[in-house]
Amino acid sequence: MNEEQTWVLQAQRGDDEAFTRLVETYQTPVFNLCYRMLGEPELAEDAAQETFLRAYQHLHRYDLKRPFATWLLSIAAHYCIDRLRRRKFSMFSMDAEDDEGNSIELPDVDAPNPEKESIKGQMQERIQGMLKDLDTTDRAAIIMRYWYDYSEKEIAESLNLTVSAVKSRLHRARKELAGMWQEEEEDDLLAEMERRHHESPAF
Amino acid sequence: MNHQPFETWLLDDKVLTPTEKRDLDAHLRTCKTCSIIAETGLTLRSARSVTPTPGFALRFQQRLAAQKVAERRRRLWGLIVLTMSAAGLIGLFVFPYIAAFVSAPVEWLTTLLGYFLFVFTSIQAIGEVAGVFARMLPNFLPPYAWMVILSGLAGLGLLWTVSIWRFARRPQGVTA
Repeated sequence: MNEEQTWVLQAQRGDDEAFTRLVETYQTPVFNLCYRMLGEPELAEDAAQETFLRAYQHLHRYDLKRPFATWLLSIAAHYCIDRLRRRKFSMFSMDAEDDEGNSIELPDVDAPNPEKESIKGQMQERIQGMLKDLDTTDRAAIIMRYWYDYSEKEIAESLNLTVSAVKSRLHRARKELAGMWQEEEEDDLLAEMERRHHESPAF
Repeated sequence: MNHQPFETWLLDDKVLTPTEKRDLDAHLRTCKTCSIIAETGLTLRSARSVTPTPGFALRFQQRLAAQKVAERRRRLWGLIVLTMSAAGLIGLFVFPYIAAFVSAPVEWLTTLLGYFLFVFTSIQAIGEVAGVFARMLPNFLPPYAWMVILSGLAGLGLLWTVSIWRFARRPQGVTA
């Protein structure tokens, strides 16, 4: 039995300290999943907290044979999907913005090359912006696949889908993302051309 | 080779053989659609994890504590409302009887005595009937029928015990 399983067992017996250790271990993956799903740091924080709360309340149902991370991320994904479905008809921004509507730069711990990191940051922002246009379950599947390296089987187990459904969802989502990526690149190109046109000495 | 298999390989993240990889690289130099799919895939793979602000676990502990307090408060209020409702209902039904008892106590005591006498004699009669059956049944029922009946009764007992245990078990988040 590894350390994590020991913590889970202790937490199942009512040891809150052991559960806090699990929270400390999994706070980043859970928060990241929620952020990628919901797109706003405040919503992600709330969703991540709620995920751990639900995990705590239903810990007696957790099967020790299953990886704890998969179980936890499954709770987070379902919670975010439900939350997005409830908010489906209300308008909200998925971009990371502060109260004034300015973009929040996500913390970058080790950025040796500022220019390169800036381009990387733009790419990340673009990906985040495109994720919001995907179907919620497709989004969860993509996040589990590319941020957590989950196999199709693990995604299927986490999202209560069949493996073939996961395959087709991933395929469709990747195609949609590529389409959006292409549109964004074309928009960028048009904007750049327009900018150069206005900067021309003839004007 | 036409475009389609390359697109499918990229979209499905297929593990490629060296020959397939070489063919794909050659195709990517000429196909914009596939190069965009490949670029999207690379960006997804290089995506970073976002971390929560410091003190996440502490904020969770505070939220958990608040949740426990709220749950206890909800239970207490539930208990108070239930008790008051039950007391009110009992009072509503019992009040006419109490009023009648207070107005004519002798008549009430006679009725109550008659009722207890009826219950006592009924129990006695049921006991006698059960005794007669118990003496007669072993002659009619073979041993395996007894085994079936006893197993059935044991099963029902087990079901009852499990049900009580499941209802009595409290979820972890609501313990004090």
